[in-house]
Amino acid sequence: MHAVTLDARRPAEAASPSFPAVAEELLDDVYGYLLYLTRNWAVAEDLTGETFETALRRWRKFDPRRGTPRAWLLAIARSTALDWFRAEARRRRREERADAREPRGELEHGFGEGLSPELEEGLQALAAGEREVVALRVVLELDGEETARLLGISPTAVSTRLHRALGKLEERMRAHDAVA
Amino acid sequence: MTPSPDLIQELQASRPVAPAALRTRVRETAAAEPARSTLPVWSRLQLPVRRVALVAVPAAVAVSVVAAGVVGLSHANRYRARVAGENAPTPVLVAKQLIPKGTPGNIVSSQSMYAPTTLPRREVEGGAVADPSYLAGRAASADIFPGQQFTVTDFAASDTLSVDSQVAGAATTLGSQSAGPTQDSTIAPSPDRAQRVSATLTVEVRDPDAVSRAAQDALELTRSLGGHVVSASVATGEEGSASLTVRVPVDKVQRAIVQLSGLGRIVSQQVTIDDLQQDLDALARRQSSLRAQIARIGARLDTETLDAETRAVLEARRTRLQAELRQVRRGISSTSAEARMATIQVSVVTPDALGAVPPPPSRLDRTLDEALNVLVWEGVVALALAIVAAPFALVALAAWLGRRLYRRREDERLLAQS
Repeated sequence: MHAVTLDARRPAEAASPSFPAVAEELLDDVYGYLLYLTRNWAVAEDLTGETFETALRRWRKFDPRRGTPRAWLLAIARSTALDWFRAEARRRRREERADAREPRGELEHGFGEGLSPELEEGLQALAAGEREVVALRVVLELDGEETARLLGISPTAVSTRLHRALGKLEERMRAHDAVA
Repeated sequence: MTPSPDLIQELQASRPVAPAALRTRVRETAAAEPARSTLPVWSRLQLPVRRVALVAVPAAVAVSVVAAGVVGLSHANRYRARVAGENAPTPVLVAKQLIPKGTPGNIVSSQSMYAPTTLPRREVEGGAVADPSYLAGRAASADIFPGQQFTVTDFAASDTLSVDSQVAGAATTLGSQSAGPTQDSTIAPSPDRAQRVSATLTVEVRDPDAVSRAAQDALELTRSLGGHVVSASVATGEEGSASLTVRVPVDKVQRAIVQLSGLGRIVSQQVTIDDLQQDLDALARRQSSLRAQIARIGARLDTETLDAETRAVLEARRTRLQAELRQVRRGISSTSAEARMATIQVSVVTPDALGAVPPPPSRLDRTLDEALNVLVWEGVVALALAIVAAPFALVALAAWLGRRLYRRREDERLLAQS
């Protein structure tokens, strides 16, 4: 479990933590979240870098009383990822019109070391919104309320979406076991 | 379906780890000094909107109240000057009843057809008559309606002989008049001439209860002087008043006036004397003439031999002269009676009934009034702005909410398809 303890004062007023410390502490969380969301390690790396650049610019505005640094960074990461998804959707539409579709970015290194191939496949088959909730609730272990605030939906919707995603993964693994 | 714990454990155990190259890049980024913002100054202030609003709104209200107080204070002196000017109490005569065109001024006075009133200067008409003596020798040049102020254009010179004496009324503020006229100011009728004597008194008493007592005293006084009551009207209530018309022997009129004046504080007093001796002398001469003519006609009818037609003419003429003689006799009788008794009209009023101007408000009251006015105007302006801005604000809010909802749905759709 990752957690960063902050002084109650604003970052500008507080002596610690510094932005580099926060970045060091939460880099894996942001990267993991973006990897789950985009399914593409290269894109996840780019978006992670972009997220921290944005965060650095906005660091003075961060108010620890309104949320944790992790939730704040993940919100920036999500916004950055959504921008990328929009741009990607536009690019795909252009390519479809030009009939010059390129193969989508492959997940060369997987979602994480140690994941079984079946689970990797199952995660690949999920929609981005489903992978997102799995990443936040299971991998990063955010609670339901925090996840709901981040996604802009109700905690019940978060729970439903997570349940559906995990159910799909479970089903896929059972089917694989049956074939084997 | 409950997810298997193994699945959860596997996912958590295989957390993605950022590559070393990315970690290095992020470290470099984090260590760098943030670029200087190109946002405007007000945006870089980073003021929390809610906290600013919590301070700004009460501050604006406080500023409004203080501004209203300052303006109210500065206007207080102006208000006082205005009270001293426009609101200065000014005496004026106001008609109590319809006064037909041609009514002599002395009748207007003797019949008490007006009430001496005090009004704020701004409400007094130009050329308003405040002095009842102005009516002497004049007559109404047009119909004057109840409640109408007497003005110099309402009265023109007339041939009526009258001797009016205005001994009060031209006073200033009713509420602050310290002393009324004295008994010495009345004009005594001439005992060797027939005269119509009428007097009008307005007496102010303290409260409505005193009005009834004063009216009762006036009636008893009249009877004690050998006079009688022509009319009496007593109204009680918050603004009690009494109006009495009495007749007393002419030789006791001065005494009556003096004693009636003692009922309260005299607001106005007027004695009018119309000479009736000329009328009486004329009537006496006409009576002698008629008697002589009747006697001559009677002698002719008794002594001369007349034809039937001439006799009929003379008898008819004698009949007319006799009828006229009876009228002249009645005229002499009524004129003599009028000259024997004086008419006194007494009005007993309270300060409220006189329409006394209330004392000007204190400086604090004026300041509060002005401040309240300013606050009301500020509220009106704020309300007007709110009414004008409300539709635009609602449209902007709806647009913002709509855009937000649209983006959220688009994001959901995008994430569901990716």
